[in-house]
Amino acid sequence: MLSVKNIIDTENLTVADVNLIMENTATFSEVLSRDFKKVPALRGKTVLNMFFESSTRTKNSFEIAAKRLGADTVNFSASGSSLNKGESIIDTVKTLQSMIVDLAIIRHSDSGAINYISSKINIPVINAGDGKHQHPTQALLDLFTIGESFAEFKNLKVAIVGDILNSRVARSNICLFKKMGMDVTLVSAPMLMPVNMDCFNVKIASCIDDVIEETDVLYMLRMQFERQEKKYYPSIREYNSFFSLDKKRFMKMKEKSIIMHPGPVNRGIEISEEVMENEDEFIERIKINRQVTNGLAVRMALIYLLLASDQLEKEYVH
Amino acid sequence: MFTEIINKKFPAKDIKAPESLIIKNIFIPGKTPNEDLAADILIEKGIIRSAEGIVDTCGIEFDYPLYPGINSEKKHVLGISSNGKAAILNAGGLTCSASFTDMHVHLREPGDEEEECINSGINAALKGGITAMCCMPNTKPVIDNDCLVSFIKMKAAKSDFNIYPAAAITKGLNGLEITDFGVLKNAGAAAFSDDGKCVQDSKLMYEIMRYAKYHEALLILHEEDYSFSAEGAMHEGYYSTKLGIGGISPLSEEIIIARDIMLAEKTGAKVHITHISSKKSVEMIKSAREAGINITCDVTPHHIFFNDSALKNYNTNLKVNPPVRGPEDQEALIAGLKSGVIDAIASDHAPHLDSEKNTTFIKAANGSTGLETLFKASYTKLCIEENLNFLHFLKLISTNPSRIIGHKAGQISSGSNADIAILDTKKQEIFDVRNTYSKSSNSAFDGIKLYGKIICTIKNGKIVFLDF
Repeated sequence: MLSVKNIIDTENLTVADVNLIMENTATFSEVLSRDFKKVPALRGKTVLNMFFESSTRTKNSFEIAAKRLGADTVNFSASGSSLNKGESIIDTVKTLQSMIVDLAIIRHSDSGAINYISSKINIPVINAGDGKHQHPTQALLDLFTIGESFAEFKNLKVAIVGDILNSRVARSNICLFKKMGMDVTLVSAPMLMPVNMDCFNVKIASCIDDVIEETDVLYMLRMQFERQEKKYYPSIREYNSFFSLDKKRFMKMKEKSIIMHPGPVNRGIEISEEVMENEDEFIERIKINRQVTNGLAVRMALIYLLLASDQLEKEYVH
Repeated sequence: MFTEIINKKFPAKDIKAPESLIIKNIFIPGKTPNEDLAADILIEKGIIRSAEGIVDTCGIEFDYPLYPGINSEKKHVLGISSNGKAAILNAGGLTCSASFTDMHVHLREPGDEEEECINSGINAALKGGITAMCCMPNTKPVIDNDCLVSFIKMKAAKSDFNIYPAAAITKGLNGLEITDFGVLKNAGAAAFSDDGKCVQDSKLMYEIMRYAKYHEALLILHEEDYSFSAEGAMHEGYYSTKLGIGGISPLSEEIIIARDIMLAEKTGAKVHITHISSKKSVEMIKSAREAGINITCDVTPHHIFFNDSALKNYNTNLKVNPPVRGPEDQEALIAGLKSGVIDAIASDHAPHLDSEKNTTFIKAANGSTGLETLFKASYTKLCIEENLNFLHFLKLISTNPSRIIGHKAGQISSGSNADIAILDTKKQEIFDVRNTYSKSSNSAFDGIKLYGKIICTIKNGKIVFLDF
């Protein structure tokens, strides 16, 4: 059983929690490779998908995950809801909770929104991304993907490249990767880097070339132009010369190293067209699509663990 | 209030508030050696007649005991003579001080009376031992004309309370056009402030200072460079990074303070910088004063009580502007109060509706209520935790802010106005915002154990707040 009732951030997960999630993910990953891809473990349960911020891959991933487990799903999106009539977030959430659902999956554009909402409702909550704060299911699916390529996590050299400042993926991944003993280097420019990063026990590099040869996992962040209120980084040309993965840099990398990206990729910015075109050829190395598939398995595992443990607890009480 | 208390207890007797008040057995810091050798204070017609030695109360008896004693030995803590001429308050060794002055308060009237109004603000102030305050002009409409200044003064006079309105520096706080300083000053504006906003245009600020100097007007400045603060909601540091909340660098405040020190030096204007928050700000003000520049400053209780680590659970009641900063800044502010660089403590009482605070951190409004905790919170931090001399502390919340806004501060000596706060400095209580007299309950101190309890507030010789 997990030590937490909600999945809000990666910080509060214990190593035992992470291992349990990884084990369950492996099981569901196997289910997903079968012809019949369904385990009706959560039949009769209802999962509420609340996306206050737009999303396609995460939202669909959660919905498919819940359905594969036999649960019913209810979708809520902020546009067209009573939020437009001035209903407060908390009243919206409570209204939907009153429709008797068992689990809420929430994404919101404000950092801390999930901490806030989960403190006000009494069903388990999974954070599907809150502002620039956390995106724990992304971090867990990334960890699982790394685990498929390497025998152990300890001392793996991970480089996270790009816009750390605006990235919730970076915040959740740094925390989880450090927890699992990896050696994390951030590659970024001052205006894309938050202050006091040194307190997070990571190394810092200023150019991808400084780390490219020794990196096991090259994690490219999305250059999030939609999240930058003001653009301080000069240009794509400048970005390409310091942070982009092109063919030349790709060839310098270790033979067994892998490339990851939370998607969607800005072709020609984080990763060059040329590398992306060869995605199939380097399928063992470029893990971007594998991450998406693993996302499904991780989310099945989390929904299962939260609801199943909830059920176990209830049975114990009665 | 006194008459109300009496009439409630003894409805049959139509007793008027007595002209004289005798406070027995009270410890006057700096005057009486200790609580066991406490003195008496005799007040007649709102003026302290005697504050040394023992007042002879022969002939006056406690015919109508109103409250039981604080402890079993001291019966009849408050009583009144049968001829109705004098009231006697046995303070039982409690401490007294000149009542406090809060030079930075948002009363929300006119415009946002559901958050606070002048009367509810006055009640909260009295509960906090405060009898004079300076209110900020960011109301709806903005206090940028003489009618509104008169309106505030009139309302305060009705409640027999000293409100010193600050009028806006620019029309509608637009940061573009200077208000009618002369007309406003004549109507009773005690200071000029665009609080909550900051004039970004340096040339305009220069003209404002020249004009303030010409009218001998006090400027109370909220210092913020919007280009640094626009994307942020808390102090830029470890916690803003961890929480994913946009950071506000201390540079936001420091750059404007540096500018305004230069402008103050050039123009000779009387400048008061309000709610400073960073270490560098303290240092700059210190050297400006050493260079003889006419500049004063204050800090809020929440900036010395908390640092940004207190926001780790996204506590919206501590979302304030400027933000509470890092531990080093917090220490520098405390040191600044001790050394005298920082002149005053002001609450920045900023009431907000629950709906503005009960939301996500980013969407929540800035500000905390503070009138009722001005004394308690700063006393707990400075005198209990930091061992600041109590007399020095009293200057920070009474003498100095009064001097800056031009209020004749009370003193505990004969001939002074009887504006007095009676304090139980040893009492420790959890501050529970549900008991607030303010209309709003967004206090950063809710649920925190604080030392110091205001037992009684006396304004012009009348008991206006009493809580045994």
